[in-house]
Amino acid sequence: MAADLAPGMPARAARWPGAAIALRTARRAVRTGALWGYISGATVAASELTYRSTYKTVAERAHFAALFSNNAGLAAILGPAHELQSVAGFTAWKSFMFLAIVGAAWGLLMGTRLLRGEEEAGRWELLLAGQTTRRGAAAKALAGLGAGLAVFWALVSVIIIASGRSSKVGIAAAPSLYFALALVCPTALFAAVGSLAGQLAATRRQAASYAGAVLGVSYTLRMVADSGSGLTWLRWLTPLGWTEALQPLTNPRPLALLPTAACLVVLVGLTVYLAGNRDLGTSVLPDRASATAHTRLLGGPAGLAARLARGVVLGWAAAICAISLLMGAIAKQAGSAMAASPSFERTVARLGLRGGGAAQYLGFTFLTVAVMLVLIAAGQVSAARGEEAEGRLDHLLVRPVHRWSWLCGRVVLTSLALVACGLLAGLFAWWGAVADGAGLGLARLLGAGVNVVAPALCVLGIGSLVMGALPRAAVAVTYGLLAWSMLIELLGGFFSSNHWLLDTSVFHQMTPAPAVGPDWATVAVMALVGAAAAVLGALCFTRRDLIGE
Amino acid sequence: MNPAAIRTSGLSKRFGGVRALNDLNLEVALGEVVGYLGPNGAGKTTTIRLLLGSIRPSSGSAEIFGLDCWRNPTSVHRRLAYVPGEASLWPSLTGAETLHLLGRVQGQVDGAYRDELMGRFDFDPSKKVRAYSKGNRQKLVLIAALMTRADLLVLDEPTAGLDPLMERAFRECVAEARQRGQTIFLSSHILSEVEALCDRVAILRAGKLVEIGTLAEMRHLSTLSVEATFEGAVPDLSVVPGVTAVEVEGATVRCQVAGSVAPLLSVLAGSGARGLLSREPSLEELFLAHYGTGPANGGARTRTGAARTGAGAGAAGAGSVPDGEVAGHGG
Repeated sequence: MAADLAPGMPARAARWPGAAIALRTARRAVRTGALWGYISGATVAASELTYRSTYKTVAERAHFAALFSNNAGLAAILGPAHELQSVAGFTAWKSFMFLAIVGAAWGLLMGTRLLRGEEEAGRWELLLAGQTTRRGAAAKALAGLGAGLAVFWALVSVIIIASGRSSKVGIAAAPSLYFALALVCPTALFAAVGSLAGQLAATRRQAASYAGAVLGVSYTLRMVADSGSGLTWLRWLTPLGWTEALQPLTNPRPLALLPTAACLVVLVGLTVYLAGNRDLGTSVLPDRASATAHTRLLGGPAGLAARLARGVVLGWAAAICAISLLMGAIAKQAGSAMAASPSFERTVARLGLRGGGAAQYLGFTFLTVAVMLVLIAAGQVSAARGEEAEGRLDHLLVRPVHRWSWLCGRVVLTSLALVACGLLAGLFAWWGAVADGAGLGLARLLGAGVNVVAPALCVLGIGSLVMGALPRAAVAVTYGLLAWSMLIELLGGFFSSNHWLLDTSVFHQMTPAPAVGPDWATVAVMALVGAAAAVLGALCFTRRDLIGE
Repeated sequence: MNPAAIRTSGLSKRFGGVRALNDLNLEVALGEVVGYLGPNGAGKTTTIRLLLGSIRPSSGSAEIFGLDCWRNPTSVHRRLAYVPGEASLWPSLTGAETLHLLGRVQGQVDGAYRDELMGRFDFDPSKKVRAYSKGNRQKLVLIAALMTRADLLVLDEPTAGLDPLMERAFRECVAEARQRGQTIFLSSHILSEVEALCDRVAILRAGKLVEIGTLAEMRHLSTLSVEATFEGAVPDLSVVPGVTAVEVEGATVRCQVAGSVAPLLSVLAGSGARGLLSREPSLEELFLAHYGTGPANGGARTRTGAARTGAGAGAAGAGSVPDGEVAGHGG
């Protein structure tokens, strides 16, 4: 019988029982690890390479350092600043905590997806039949995850060692390697948190929300510790605090790796132990298998889409509200710092910004909200494709539901959610700004909120077009467009003369509202491009075969 | 004249260079129950996806109730219900929520019948889909399809994962649907199920329809199973015209006879046969005959790439089973 099965299995797996799980996990982890490594490395390199051209003289650097070194609001978000007058200190401050947090979020999603997600989808059942133990399977999946992290570390290292060698930067290889390691630490730790949450919860989504809560608490504790509240000891209670204590590039403290390493060992051990002590497909915490029926939304395909997207979109909306509130609250202080720094002004002049002030600061930082909105749009394209690929869409389309109305209904619903999130961003930024006395009007900030919806509508339409025409490429193209646009924005300074290249970024057409008024014509054109692409996508969708994974 | 429930003419589908379905001409009359058989990869699911308008024909056409399946999918879908073999549903919805949604989307539900079906299938709708076993998910899609009382039921291996009790409940439901005049197109691996339920059987191989007819008609095409017991030496029956798949076990010989039994009878009469047993072939034997398979003789079942047709291929000991699942279920 085994001989019969062999042609369908990877040859290596047949010789080495259980290797299939490690290989499968590693393949996926390495793929995203490489992508994330490239984004992180590019972010760090961009910061290193632009420092000298942005702050040309020693006086400018000293001025910048003096302004931002003791800014409690920014310290709460990005961590305390050290040696801001050097390229190393500037880069560490600007990119380290930001990348650490995004990396931690990526790690926890990977951990939950590659352990609980795979198990939930039933893919382990086949591999586990007589091949390996559940404990062994968990260990092998963790090893695969480790391979992804190794690739991440290697790629970040290569990129930042290369940029460090540039005459503009001059950072040696050893500190660069240590910086890359410091970036891997929170990612690895939260991948382990995600893996452990995957043992506790019965579904990937539940596991991700447990692990997300841990990340949220960690970030909040670190924020409190760094906000000048006198509670700096709190830093030692949070993994992000341990990460911060590594102080790469400025004052490396390798001993601060110990709590992360110890915690990692405990989490991995606990994950493997728990995996062996439960049945396949079950969870350590009781799974709420029964529920009261809530049929209010379930009257048709659009209602179903709303019901399925509700949790994710509300989560994003909450994050957008929180970030906008924070940005609004520090806008005045950060804006006046900008106004006093001619060189910082040059950095943001690229975006069409002039002068300083709260509005200028928000014009600069609303780009973050734009990116989050594009992530919502891309997530919904991916969800639509998932419905088709996994065969759930069949249940609707074998009933009297038009393919056209199904896809367009989803696009319209997502568009409404995006506009609502944009308005919330404006509202909460206004609320924060009012609390701080920044003197920005509600209408102006709501306008800025609508302004950042345009790129997301554009990406949503393009994603729907690819979903209609080339379904298997839809997810990669949509996220690829986002990654490309972010890269163009980050490295824009290098090819500011080439507007053809800059125009390929979905963010580039957007005016930096509220610093300047939104260009409503551009907003309308982008929204129309998105709508036209979505309609074209829906037409293509009605003319092709339904295609599975 | 009423249009046929299903009519395909020259229906073909290619995926890249692979011909999944080739020139299918099939007609299913209103109120008929047709079984659709074939090994994995023969094109059964491709046919069903073409009928559902999920994929577009490369050439030819498929009609349901006189409406083109690709051009008028929603009009067709108002009158049919479909059960897939592998039910992939929304894991976060409960059974009750799923039934509510699918009923609302379909637009017509016999509520009393739905409740009756839940009782008959012993289905608990309060759980979330992710907590259901495969069998329970299958019950869910069966109930969702049957509760619509659609004019046409398209069933693609509908009883995968059901236990024998539930399979019996399924057969009762199909029999009732048939009595109500609903048309049923049943693709299945379970030959006894097809034999019990279907008026006609269509057999598909490698994308081509190789046989269609009532079971009675098909039996004439196939062989008769004969078992003879001898007092003395066992004669060599494999040289008798029309005789194949000879198996010798002590004093007993089992074989298949195609065409006239006269040559065999004369040999048996001259060899001192003590006992003789002959019977009509079961659907399983008819099916296996189409795939060139005789009963294996003491050896392991082997997979061979090229399935052979006709009863002549099944020499003793050289049997090939093109599809273990079919043989397993049927036996």
